[in-house]
Amino acid sequence: MKGTLVIFRKEFAGFFKSPLFYFLSFMMTILLSILFSISLDKFAQTSSNAMLQFGTQPQLLNIHYSVFLPHLSIINLIFIFLIPALTMKLISEEKKIRTFDLLLTSPISSLAIVMGKYLAALVTIFGLILVSFIYPIVSRQVFEFSWAPTLVAALGIFLVAAVYTAMNLFASSLTENGLIAFVLSIIFNLSIWFIGALNESFDEPHLKSILEHMSLNNHLAAMIEGTIRTNGLIFFFSLIFLFCFLTERVIESSRWRA
Amino acid sequence: MIEVSHLSKSYGDRIAISDLNFTIEKGEVVGFLGPNGAGKSTTMKIITGFMAPSSGQAKVCGFDVFENPIEVKKRIGYLPETPPLYTDMLVQDYLKYVAELKQVPTTKIKSFVERALAKTQLTSVKSRLIQNLSKGFKQRVGIAQALVSEPEVLILDEPTVGLDPKQVSEIRDLIKELQGEHTIILSTHILPEVQATCNKVIIIHEGKIVAQETIEQIEKMNKGFVMLTVKTKKSNSIEAQLKSIEGVKEVEVLSLQHYRVKLVEQEDLIEKIASEVIRSGAGLMELSPSRANLEDVFLKLTYGQEKVEV
Repeated sequence: MKGTLVIFRKEFAGFFKSPLFYFLSFMMTILLSILFSISLDKFAQTSSNAMLQFGTQPQLLNIHYSVFLPHLSIINLIFIFLIPALTMKLISEEKKIRTFDLLLTSPISSLAIVMGKYLAALVTIFGLILVSFIYPIVSRQVFEFSWAPTLVAALGIFLVAAVYTAMNLFASSLTENGLIAFVLSIIFNLSIWFIGALNESFDEPHLKSILEHMSLNNHLAAMIEGTIRTNGLIFFFSLIFLFCFLTERVIESSRWRA
Repeated sequence: MIEVSHLSKSYGDRIAISDLNFTIEKGEVVGFLGPNGAGKSTTMKIITGFMAPSSGQAKVCGFDVFENPIEVKKRIGYLPETPPLYTDMLVQDYLKYVAELKQVPTTKIKSFVERALAKTQLTSVKSRLIQNLSKGFKQRVGIAQALVSEPEVLILDEPTVGLDPKQVSEIRDLIKELQGEHTIILSTHILPEVQATCNKVIIIHEGKIVAQETIEQIEKMNKGFVMLTVKTKKSNSIEAQLKSIEGVKEVEVLSLQHYRVKLVEQEDLIEKIASEVIRSGAGLMELSPSRANLEDVFLKLTYGQEKVEV
């Protein structure tokens, strides 16, 4: 436990000392600012014209669907590329500059190494999500709306980000090369969206339902509607557990593999 | 303190070390000697718990390295071949981090870091980034990180690589200073280093231990012989004259003014050689005896195994 904390503190401080982190956060906030104001503007127009136009989809008149959800899906899109950039060096760099030797000859378990690094990345990403929440908070000054669905949807995005982080940490543990870890991470992050889509191409009902359960999209969709379902939570947590476990195995294996 | 029995390790088909057995007592300074690729680093990596052996076992302070790695690692300070440095950290922050990793109690961290900085003479650069330090300083930071937890066992893989002669002698002094409080294993292929610092030598060649003696014993292996360096002023060959003296075993001609003579340890013999050289009219410039040293033994045991008959 103490080992986890030591690693966590070092890596967490490491994120906030690196220029890369500030550059990425800067890019992210710029992108969000532009897109958020556009969608807010559009929402204002639609709602002012709503009286005149019949047949407008009622969902478009809800700020949750027409402003906050696009906002969160953009955050998701950014995370697909941003999280690999943050996590690519977590383990690969240690291997490259041989500080991995130091970790492996220190009296801490492989689990503590993985947990320390994973939590550091996760808390940093949580921080980024908090920053992106400035936009709804500011909107709250102008509009009246219910917080709950937005918070649940944000929780969904956070869980997806946690899955990305676990997968990307695993990618980083596989190689000494940061760039390979980065590319591999993006492939992981994208492919997890496509696995669910595969169910379209199978007719066999069991396989189809298995693939449906594996679809990140299905589970996220429920949360975006504002409902928390246990099967969704179990799905997210088991993915996180699986990839943290695999990372721990990879680190442990370097002790006995030549 | 350290017990190694029947230790073997192979990387695929290549056997790195096979059936090593040795014990090291508390407070000893042991030099691991051997040509490149002899298996020194592999042995050290196994003792530190960094790597598992293919067979056999190693015990540190009574704990098996593979069954109780955490206890072993608490007691070991290890400097690998490449110092494990986070180049984007300050020297003092880095040492603090290592102390935390080694589970030094929070109250002692500060004083341990200060002491490691003082011992390796890094206090003046403690608030600089590691990446801006020279190679010698980086190596010293590496040694400092091995020391910082004040471990019972210190394992140093080629600690003086990349240092200038002054720093090398400083490191040697440091190792001598640490002698007694720590058990130290250091690997090197620089022989004077072993002679200067260690009280026991383990020579490894092609994965096997070929000699395991104290320094005195090793020097005794060539006992009975003295090496004599002779320099003359004029370049007359005096090889024949030297060889004719009774008791001279070998004459090696380095140049016509420079000879190395191996002779039986005997009173008066050096005097006899001196007068012979003077009589030859070559003009004696220098005559310096030296004991047959570790280097001769080392070369004999490793490179020259098939050539030199013992």
